[in-house]
Amino acid sequence: MKLTRRKLATAVLIPAATALAQTAQTPPALPRNPDEEMKAARDRVKAMGDALAQQAVPMATEPAFQFKA
Amino acid sequence: MAAIGAEVFFATIPELNARLTSKEIPAEDLARAFANRLEQLGPRFNCLALPLPQQAIRKAQDVDKEIKRGRLRGPLQGIPYGVKDLISYAGQPTTWGAKPFAGQVFDYSATVIEKLDAVGAVLTGKLAMVELAGGGGYRFASASLTGPGLNPWDRTRWSGGSSSGSAAAVAAGLVPFSLGSETSGSIVTPASYCGVTALRPTYGLVSRRGAMALSWTLDKLGPFAHTAEDCGLVLQVIAGKDGKDPGSAGKSFYYTPQYARPLKELKVGFAPVDFAERAEAPARAAFAAALGVLKDTGVQLVETKLPPFPYGPVLSAILAAEQASIFEQFITSGKVDELADQGQIAGLKASLELPAKDYLKAQRVRRLIQDAFSRLFAEVDVLVAPGRSGAATKLDQRLDVGGPPAPAGAAPGFQGIIPAGNLAGLPALVLPCGFAENLPVALQIVGVPFAENTLLAIGREFQARTDWHKRRPPGM
Repeated sequence: MKLTRRKLATAVLIPAATALAQTAQTPPALPRNPDEEMKAARDRVKAMGDALAQQAVPMATEPAFQFKA
Repeated sequence: MAAIGAEVFFATIPELNARLTSKEIPAEDLARAFANRLEQLGPRFNCLALPLPQQAIRKAQDVDKEIKRGRLRGPLQGIPYGVKDLISYAGQPTTWGAKPFAGQVFDYSATVIEKLDAVGAVLTGKLAMVELAGGGGYRFASASLTGPGLNPWDRTRWSGGSSSGSAAAVAAGLVPFSLGSETSGSIVTPASYCGVTALRPTYGLVSRRGAMALSWTLDKLGPFAHTAEDCGLVLQVIAGKDGKDPGSAGKSFYYTPQYARPLKELKVGFAPVDFAERAEAPARAAFAAALGVLKDTGVQLVETKLPPFPYGPVLSAILAAEQASIFEQFITSGKVDELADQGQIAGLKASLELPAKDYLKAQRVRRLIQDAFSRLFAEVDVLVAPGRSGAATKLDQRLDVGGPPAPAGAAPGFQGIIPAGNLAGLPALVLPCGFAENLPVALQIVGVPFAENTLLAIGREFQARTDWHKRRPPGM
């Protein structure tokens, strides 16, 4: 869709004006010791794997790196 | 010594070049002035890793002799600059911003430094950075050997990372240009927060030989400067084939924006939500005005969407696996515990446990991402989004949690454009585009691989119509 300047203003500014108030995000508590720190880091690694597992990839798709002989 | 006014510290490369080649200012005087300024003011922003005044003066003396003989080497001859402290300079410490590497010295200089040296550019110092470029995932701005990068616009705010010093030094007029690196966001973020122009080149365009490896398949080196044109002039010198960098694309770059396609032929993809609900409220007016300026340049703005992929997890998996291999000995030896940031320490240790299948899956998804972007770029020529959704974060703000959430139901927009652009190896130009609560905000323009001239042509026209890139931090 090609945009005119008026459509641009409408697209950008009106949603901004009517946006719901943003609520402050409460950050997760800081790990209290090295064990908790490692658990949090391992949980992040596991979450990466879980997210990747949900992504379908055709069997023929090769990894995006090259080996040149 | 020639009288050097304050305006010189914020002059563009062509302006400085004109003064040097006309012999109005000797290169030695310029080098002394910038080296002194970097040494005096750099610590104020925690942006200086290593001053190199003696080396700079010697180099500048050689440049003066060349100019006197009429041997002109191009626009960077005699121009002072700084490099992120992950770029090696022979015989001098290269700390990677990390205490365990504080005494590290290489006996060779990085290819980018050799190339800049060959055209007569004058290295005046090495610039601070987040330790190990932050690959482990750091929690606070203090994750650096030199302390938190302080933003020249407001020292209670972060300068961004991981190329903290590279951006802050240009913003404060301590160097006319600098080099930084990006694996995912480390050029775009500090340039946006500090209000300077910067270019993340296409993957493989600039040699990384002699630069710290964080992720072989993601790392890029690129310039920070006052204008898009300056970035183009620097890129022209540092780009090019390097057989010693296995990731080298074997391509050169010539800064020729005049031969780029006319702007009125360009389709610029954007997502309105990025400039509205997903932008922080104080920044929305600046972003909306910047989009208007962009439209006035003649480009066609076209609403579009990013292909739906889990960009963050894909990038994080690749980064984690590659850094785990690169830093394995450092991590298992226990030296990793000497880093400043606890989140970074744990993140590096945990990265050793990433399954190989996850790394390979991520690299396969990356192939799909690359294909999807090829299709997207058949419909639009470039993409535009905010550099960051708002202004620089406060120094004590946690960096391991996101900013304010968008309202429920808001479209995703281009929120993943930083990891997406890095995964696909795309170039990005950062352009200061206004202020939010007296702090700079910026646009990022992302193009197809090796389309740097298109991005720079847009940037040059944008900067001809605005003066955000000419603004100076208070007291500078």
